[in-house]
Order: sequence, then structure tokens, then C-alpha cells
Amino acid sequence: MDLMNNLALGFGVAFTVQNLFLCFIGCMIGTLVGVLPGVGPVATIAMLLPITFGLDPTGALIMLAGIYYGAQYGGSTTAILVNIPGEATSVVTTLDGHQMAKQGRAGAALGIAALGSFFAGCVATVFIAAMGKPLTKLAQLFGPAEYFSLMVMGLVFSTVLARGSIFKALLMVFLGLLLATVGTDLETGQERMTLGIQQLSDGVDFAPLAMGIFGFAEIIRNLESPEARDVVRGKIGKLMPSWAEIKQSTPPVLRGTFIGGLLGILPGNGAVLGPFASYTIEKKIAKDSSRFGKGAIEGVAGPEAANNAGAQTAFIPLLTLGIPPNAVMALMVGAMTIHGIIPGPQVMTKNPDLFWGMIASMWIGNAMLVIINLPLVGMWVKLLKVPYRLMFPAILIFCCIGIYSINNSVEDVYFTGFFALVGYVLIKLGFEPAPMLLGFVLGKLMEEKLRQALILSRGSFMTFVERPVSGVLLAIAVIMLVVALLPSINKKRDAVFQE
Amino acid sequence: MTDTDTPAPERSSAGSYRLTEDIAAGLFLFFVSAFFIWKAWELPLGSLRAMGPGMLPMSISVILGVGGFLLALSAFVKGGNIITMPHVRGLFFILGGIVLFGLCIRSLGLVVAGPVSMIFASFATNEVRPTEAVIFACAMTAFCIILFKYALGLPIPVVAFI
Repeated sequence: MDLMNNLALGFGVAFTVQNLFLCFIGCMIGTLVGVLPGVGPVATIAMLLPITFGLDPTGALIMLAGIYYGAQYGGSTTAILVNIPGEATSVVTTLDGHQMAKQGRAGAALGIAALGSFFAGCVATVFIAAMGKPLTKLAQLFGPAEYFSLMVMGLVFSTVLARGSIFKALLMVFLGLLLATVGTDLETGQERMTLGIQQLSDGVDFAPLAMGIFGFAEIIRNLESPEARDVVRGKIGKLMPSWAEIKQSTPPVLRGTFIGGLLGILPGNGAVLGPFASYTIEKKIAKDSSRFGKGAIEGVAGPEAANNAGAQTAFIPLLTLGIPPNAVMALMVGAMTIHGIIPGPQVMTKNPDLFWGMIASMWIGNAMLVIINLPLVGMWVKLLKVPYRLMFPAILIFCCIGIYSINNSVEDVYFTGFFALVGYVLIKLGFEPAPMLLGFVLGKLMEEKLRQALILSRGSFMTFVERPVSGVLLAIAVIMLVVALLPSINKKRDAVFQE
Repeated sequence: MTDTDTPAPERSSAGSYRLTEDIAAGLFLFFVSAFFIWKAWELPLGSLRAMGPGMLPMSISVILGVGGFLLALSAFVKGGNIITMPHVRGLFFILGGIVLFGLCIRSLGLVVAGPVSMIFASFATNEVRPTEAVIFACAMTAFCIILFKYALGLPIPVVAFI
């Protein structure tokens, strides 16, 4: 069995002392930032990029991946105990999870969230391993036109998923694309809109942009509206859910894993949609839907499985097509290119130990996370009691040191400050920054593919519609946009995001 | 973050002259686009068959500008949420902290840059307790020096002024 051989290779790589240690560190940090609201994996990974310079690429990616999926576990702890989503993907968990905690069933909620996530993580790992090869083959059939259309689809998807107005999200995508055009032109070498600033001739750096918007702007936003933290007092209770509860949660976990995993593959941050979709479905098919919102364990089990599955399958577009589906994956691209690895279909053949080692480490990481999260939950709760007035200066200094160290550049620190201002303005104006970041991430690659495709077609845009795969992808994008804009669906979408 | 507990924003009715969120948003994008059009003006556009460096910046800027205009126009016609005051205190102290870090790190090193930027930034909230902030900033800096400089070996200047 080819798959078995590959997985054996992967486990061989992942089970070295160094990689096990890095995986553990990644999962710990991931849980930490997941638990803390206001610090996300994007800012953290950007901050830790310089640390990975000294590691070998496999170890570096194992650690960074651990931070990302670790954050999904940690986010649910905060959602359940404090009623604040630690991460964007755990918004739905607050609905029933916190209700369970109020009824003294916090332990069961935490337990089922961790076990559901673990199950989903295992399935997703196998899924990535199995899908890797066929998708890589498929990717080799992709020409520039197909790549371009796929990215268009991803961007449309991200606007449909953003909160608030789709039109505004679409404008954010264009703003991101515009920012991506700053810098030296790929073909002619001419400087574009660099304002005479030398650093900009390589284009706007992703790390300062991401950290300005997701690190600093977020701090200012949090300072503006101080949150009330009602950490559940009283006992957390037994961590192991009862047999009846496990039975009750099994079908939602299975469905959540399936939905989340599937949506996670889609470029355009599908992982965020998974938990919403799962919750909606569980509520629809439940015999007594009135229990939802009052502590129904299915409302925790399904979405938690979905967000973890989605977080892991999000690696698929990156590893097989070289397209980062969200901001975290864009940072992964950065980490890979630093080590001279170009993400895309060739990773699997050229760096098999990296590819399979990372996949195997995900399974190991998931097992570690169950231990990190369940018995140690008390430690994380204590951490939540640290007041924000101490938390944010600490985040600030970590971010500053991180951003300075990437290029040993003071200018990068100032750029980050500038983007913090931009990010805050955007938040104030009711724009969602996520689609902009994705537009920026995909911008350069899209321009390259667009130009290539148009050279091949001698300037005819029909090539995108005439080539079957590209045409289908664009059609999906159009249908998605039209459906989301239909008044009836649009109202429903608002309702989903408001819950 | 959730925004469930914030009071409902004040709304403006159609055609009123008060600044709504979307009018400001539209105007903002309109000016951003105008700026980029100005900067991209000299870049050769090329043709669809062989695009020049200016083609995409120009066309995206135009789309953005038109989009911003439409957004502002529709907000003017329909009304919307009145824009809220920005949190000037937070902006000033956080951005100030970042700039201070940038100013100090090369010339003075982390020993100074750390406490200075953290103490300054601490004042971004009105819950600040000065003594606590100073002690915390110094302790945090020591921790960062041990962690980043010695444990992780980042080439960050610790003491640069001697």
C-alpha cells in the first residue's frame, strides 16, 4: 500500500525527538493564543516566523501547523467558560457551550469539544493523506486560466462568508488586490507605486500587514469596547461526558467532521463556515430544536468537530495547488519560501519527508491537544483571569520584537504601525479585514496567472469561460454570489451571523 | 469578538446630512483609489495581449473608486448607522508605543525600547495603574531578553548604548 508506506515515512519523520518537541510547543502556543481572546493564530505565527529561521523546514512547519489547529482547541475553552469566542471559528460554540457551563456541565462540554475535535482531526489527517496524491495529479492539469478562476472562486467565497455587506467585502477584496500590485512588476521589472520607498520595491510585506491589522488594530478595537468576562465560577465538573452524552453526540460529530472537512478545502477560508453550517444542520434535524441555545450537547459536538476538520483540510489547497486559502496558510507560504520550498504540487515529490511528516505530526498533535486541553484546563482558566490592561502591552512587545526580527528592520515596525492605523480605520468604517487580506495574499499569483492566460489566448477573455474546468469554477463563483445576494437567502445569512 | 452587548448604533434617515458609516467608507475608498490612480498614471498600460505594468493597478483602482462612490451614494439615499467616534486614546498610545519601539531598538537596544514602549502603551486604557505598569514592563522585558535573545538566539540588540 502506497498510502501506508507514505504514512510510515511521515511517522518516522514526526517521531524524532526534535519534531515531537516542536509539535508539542506549537500545540501549547496554539492553545494559549486560542484561549486568549484578541490574539489569534495569524498574529502569533507572524510573530514567531523569525524563530523558525534557525529550524529545519519540516520542524518549522510542524510547529506552525500546531499553532493553527491548536488554536481551534483553545478557542472552544474560552467559548464554553467565558462566553467569548477565543477564535472566530468558535463563535457558534458559545451558544450552547456556555449554557452547558452555566448548568454545571462545563466539564462535559469541554470533554465533548476536545473529543469531537480529536476525532475530526484524525479523520481529516487521513483525508489529507488520501486526497493528497489525486489532487496533486489534478493540479498538474491546471493551466494559468484554471488557477486564475480557482482563485476568483476563492475570493468570491470569502466575501460570501464575511460578516456584513457582501458589496463591502467585495470592495475589500479589490483593495487587497490593489495593495498586492505595489512593488516591482514581475515581467518588466518596472517599479509600481512604491512612492520612492526602497522597502516597497519588493512589494508590501505580508507579515507587517497581517500583524498591523490582526494584532494591533484588534488591540485598539478591544480597548474601545471593554468586554465583560464572566468566567464561570463554580466547579467545572466531571471532564468525561457520560455514556448517554457520548451516544447523543456521535452523529453530530460525524456530520460535523464531514461538513467541516469539505468546506475547509475550499479556498476562501471555508473553515469559518464549517461550524455555522454544522450548527444549522444539527438544529434543523433535531427532534426538539428548542433545546438549542439552552445547552444542547449536539450544538457543541458538531461545530467543534467541524472547525477542527476544516482547519486541517485547509492545508490541502496549499500543499497540492500552492494556493493559500486563508491568512494563516499565506504565512505558511512565507515560512516555506524562506527555506527555499515553493508550495505546490511538487512539494509531495520533491520533499516527501516534509509533506508526510507534517501530516503525521497533525495526528500526533491532535492527540497531544486532548491532553493539553482536558487535564490542564484549570491552568488556562487562570490565564483568562489576567486583566487585559496587562495583556495588551505584552502582546505589543511580542509583536514588535517579532516584526523587527523578521528582517532586522525598523522600517517594518513602522509599516506595522501604519497598517494598524489602516486596519482600525477599516474596522471603524464597518469593513471586514479578512477578505482584504485574502485578496492581498492571492493578488500576485492571480496577476501572474491572468497575464499568462491572456498571452496564451492572445488577449481574449473567452479563454476563462471556454476552458471547461475554468468555466465550471467561474460558474460556481457566479452562482454562489447570486444566491448569496438573493434577498431571501441574504436575510437568512444575516440571521446566521447574528446568532 | 462579539458585539452583542453594545448598544444599538444611532441610525440616520434617508437623505440626511449626517455622516453615516457607509458614506465615510465609500469616500475613504474613493480617495484611496484616486491616490493609486495618481501614482499609477505614468505606468504603461500595454494591451490585453501583453499587459503592461500599469494595466492591473489602473483597472483595479478604477473599480475600487466606482465601487466606493456607489457605496457612498446608496448610503446617502438609504441612510445607515451614524459613524462612532474613534478611540483616540487607544490609537495614540498604541501607535505611539510602536513608534517608540522603532526609535529605541537600534540606538538603545531592547533594555530601553521594551520598558519605554510598554509603559507608554499601557496608558491606552483608563484602567491603567502606573506602578503596576512599570513593574510589569520591566519584568516582561527581562523575560523577552532571556527568551528571544538567549533561548531562541534572535539577533536583537539588547544593550546598544554602551
